[in-house]
Amino acid sequence: MSRRGILTTAFAFVSLIAFGGALLVERPLEAMQPTRRQIREMLADAVGDDLGGPRLGKPPAHDFHFTRAVYTSYGWRGWRVDYPKADRQFLIGLRRITNLDSYEYENAVLLTDPEIGKYPFLYTVEVGGMAMTEAEVVALRRYLHRGGVLVIDDFWGTAEWVNFAHEMGRVLPGRPIEDIPLDHPVFHSFFDVDEIVQVPNVGQGMRGGPTWERDGYVPVLRGIFDDEGRLMVLVNWNTDLGDAWEWAENPYYPLHFSNYAYAMGINFIIYAMTH
Amino acid sequence: MFLSVFEWLLGSPPVAFERGQLELLVPWSVFWLAAALVGALVFGFLGYRRLARRLGRKGRIFLGALRAGAAALVLLCLLRPQLVLSLVVPQENVVGVLLDDSRSMRIADAGKDLRRSDVVLGSFPDSQNSARGDAALGNLLREKFVTRLFGFSDRTERIDQTSELEFAGARTDLLGSVTRVAEELASLPVAGIVVMSDGADTVRGRDEGELEATLLDLRSRGIRLYPVVVGRPEFEIDVEMGVPDLPSRVLRGSLLEIRVPLRATGLAGRTARVEALDEGRIIATQTVRFATDSVETSATLLAPAEEAGARRLRFRVAPVPGEVLTRNNEQSVLIEVDDRPLRLLYFEGQPRWELKFLRRAVAGDPELHVSCLIRTAEGKFYRVDIENADELAGGFPSTREELFRYHGVILGSVEASFFSQDQLNMLRDFVSQRGGGLLTLGGTHAFSEGGYRDTPLADVLPLTLPEVAEGSGESEAPMAAGEFRELRILPTRAGALHPIVRLDEDPLANEDLFRSLPALSSVNRMEGAKPGAAVLLEGFGPAEEAEPVLLIQRFGRGRSASLTVQDLWVWQMHAAIPLEDESHEVLARRLLRWLASAAPRRLEVTASPAKSLVGERITLRARVEDERFLAVNDAYVEAEITAPDGAISALPLRWTGEGDGEYSGVHVAAGAGTHEVRVRAELAQGAEAPQAATLFEAGAVDDEFFDAEADPDLLSRIAGATGGRVFQADEAEALVLDLSLAESGTTVVERRELWNVPAVFLLLFGLLAADWGVRHARGLP
Repeated sequence: MSRRGILTTAFAFVSLIAFGGALLVERPLEAMQPTRRQIREMLADAVGDDLGGPRLGKPPAHDFHFTRAVYTSYGWRGWRVDYPKADRQFLIGLRRITNLDSYEYENAVLLTDPEIGKYPFLYTVEVGGMAMTEAEVVALRRYLHRGGVLVIDDFWGTAEWVNFAHEMGRVLPGRPIEDIPLDHPVFHSFFDVDEIVQVPNVGQGMRGGPTWERDGYVPVLRGIFDDEGRLMVLVNWNTDLGDAWEWAENPYYPLHFSNYAYAMGINFIIYAMTH
Repeated sequence: MFLSVFEWLLGSPPVAFERGQLELLVPWSVFWLAAALVGALVFGFLGYRRLARRLGRKGRIFLGALRAGAAALVLLCLLRPQLVLSLVVPQENVVGVLLDDSRSMRIADAGKDLRRSDVVLGSFPDSQNSARGDAALGNLLREKFVTRLFGFSDRTERIDQTSELEFAGARTDLLGSVTRVAEELASLPVAGIVVMSDGADTVRGRDEGELEATLLDLRSRGIRLYPVVVGRPEFEIDVEMGVPDLPSRVLRGSLLEIRVPLRATGLAGRTARVEALDEGRIIATQTVRFATDSVETSATLLAPAEEAGARRLRFRVAPVPGEVLTRNNEQSVLIEVDDRPLRLLYFEGQPRWELKFLRRAVAGDPELHVSCLIRTAEGKFYRVDIENADELAGGFPSTREELFRYHGVILGSVEASFFSQDQLNMLRDFVSQRGGGLLTLGGTHAFSEGGYRDTPLADVLPLTLPEVAEGSGESEAPMAAGEFRELRILPTRAGALHPIVRLDEDPLANEDLFRSLPALSSVNRMEGAKPGAAVLLEGFGPAEEAEPVLLIQRFGRGRSASLTVQDLWVWQMHAAIPLEDESHEVLARRLLRWLASAAPRRLEVTASPAKSLVGERITLRARVEDERFLAVNDAYVEAEITAPDGAISALPLRWTGEGDGEYSGVHVAAGAGTHEVRVRAELAQGAEAPQAATLFEAGAVDDEFFDAEADPDLLSRIAGATGGRVFQADEAEALVLDLSLAESGTTVVERRELWNVPAVFLLLFGLLAADWGVRHARGLP
């Protein structure tokens, strides 16, 4: 080999090491993160997995049914976001951790369904676009006054809050939506939870990006209380527990978020079943 | 009429023949008597021998008998029959006169608007020259006897004149008074004792043995009793209320079930309204229909106990037109309304909606406190509504002290294997010994499915547990399909009357109400109620036969209930039920109150009689138990009695020695009104001293107006036992005559000839006239 050849080879080798080293040194984390494209593909795969579609019709008798409230909304998203995978994934955890006799599948029920009274726990999401009919408003009001509990999740920022607060004003006029202090039983009914965590959506969670959406920077848990100080409505604003349940099995989804989401979900149910 | 004819014919009244002895003055021997009799017969028959053919056999015997009879009668008169009487010597003998001075003598049923007391005053006028004159019993007695007058009610007092009677005695101690008078006159020649009374002995607690003993005592003294009945044995029209049956202590806010006994006379087909009043406010009413003319029935009232403390409940029936006695239309009862909350323990083996809605149902009830313990995961418990951080900190109670603090226990869906054998025994003792209430709810891990069949708790339950295939009770899997069934719930006949499920007073409306409620579900196999258990609700499912849903029974000292459905909460949550509907809340509260309210406290106090006269002895009884509800015999128990005027007196209660943990003491009620009793029991050193309270009322006895009809049965028993007779108030002369024939006292013997009485002449004349008439009709000589 000529001298020039040797130099060229050496340069190329050094360059390669330097470049490679620089690559390794500069982007060690990114190297382990999926790309946006990879995430899209994973989600598409997961959603495409055959869940058998949502279970419809009257569910068999159990002590507890994780029930989604079906309401009228603007746009296509509304109550069905993350449905039914989030529900099923959460139920797997619920059934494993507690001894609750729970139906293992999702259960979506119209607010106006006369059978809704059989399910005193309701969960629903994306209430930023909520636009209930008058019949739904009346049915939900009665449901809550009888002792039913509604848990709201996954809506972000001021604009969506304003819409939700308006809708709740229709259901329970005159009842304020208040912050729930950390010493409230709902934080301690099964797990002791001592902070409110902002659970990001799955995309941001897996990429490690910002946890907020829109202008929803601070996560809160608020509630509407009845005359005896019992919670009727629990409001998770600027946070997305549903995504944390839905993707809990994914190794790229941070454990921290799904742990919190499961803990709070179980706490909500134990609280609702005892208070 | 009969008596006076009798007296004219025989020369003496029947009583003289009853009391006197018949004697023949010529003491012929039996031989001569028989010979004379045969002679009379021979004379009779031989006389008609010549006419035998014309008379025939029958005629001859008939005429012969007539003539022989006449001859025998003459023969008898020759023997000089006599009636030997022992007559009292006038003014030598004493007659005790007892006059009823009780309130019941004011009842105006002695005819023509006369009161019973008027009859007494009329019979014993103060001066001999009164309007009734000589016919009055008092005057007739005074002619022949020295009379001693006594007024009697609950006391017996010597009186000089009947104007001293007040007719205000609250009780009639008839037997006691008679005995006392007999003792007082023991040293005198007594012809008899006259008792003028309506005969209603109203001393409580007198038994048959005591009556017999008193009668025997009187008989041995040889004193005859002559009761004079005043008043009617039965009123024409009357409604009488008995003592209402209700608990002496009740929890505030409870619905009291009160049975009011009623006795009606002359009111067939008519109705009466029974009212319950608390301090003048009507709290319950019930209309009763009387089926026949003389009927004993009862009204069942459901009245709320709203205000805490000592309450005097009054019960009344509106007077019926024509009713003589209206004072017996009312009763009053003292009850203590307790506002110390009942404590219950609700244990769920898994989170269930039933717990949430049961908690919500009792949340508005200040008298119920339900501590909840929920097993949320294996070995993990969640406590709600606990009183302090230590309560149930170790899970389900494992000592008697811990468990027996509660008045009731509710077991949800929790398998029997969760409990240790000790805990199961303790739960059974909780009901049978401590007297608590146990409610078992249906669920996947309840009853047979929970493996309770062969445990000590199976005895406690009001239902029989069927055998279930092995393992199904223990499995974690959801219930097997097919066992789950929906049931429409309806009250049974017993339930329609029971305060737990009587949500509406009207039985039909109550049934409609249950019909309108949605179906509930059950997953437990049922075999049926135990004998002795009452089924209050039953469910109608796919099976044709109804199955029991709510059952209750007593077990030992306590109560046991089973609700076999698993989702009573549906009656709260179902969309078809109006928001304002309170069925679920009311049912749950009543059930829990019923369950726990009978649980005794560690110190229980009673005062008897609860209603007494001033100066009467009140017995205070206490039962003392320690924290494990075991009887204590060495406690220091003291009662503090607050009189109506505020005076406080202390009375130590001593162990009776008759029963474990039983203490008693006697107190004399000093003033009229309600007396409060507070009792404190000091047990071993350092142990908490339980306290209890009760009430009694002095000076408010109205017994005289109950069972107030004249009681000739008792009077005639007394008379019969002593050899006397019962008289009516207008039979004064007969009474005096009967008294004059006394065997006791100072007497003289009087012999009355009987040969010269009109009866003998008439008989002889009749016999001879018949003889002559027959012969004349046949043309015989």
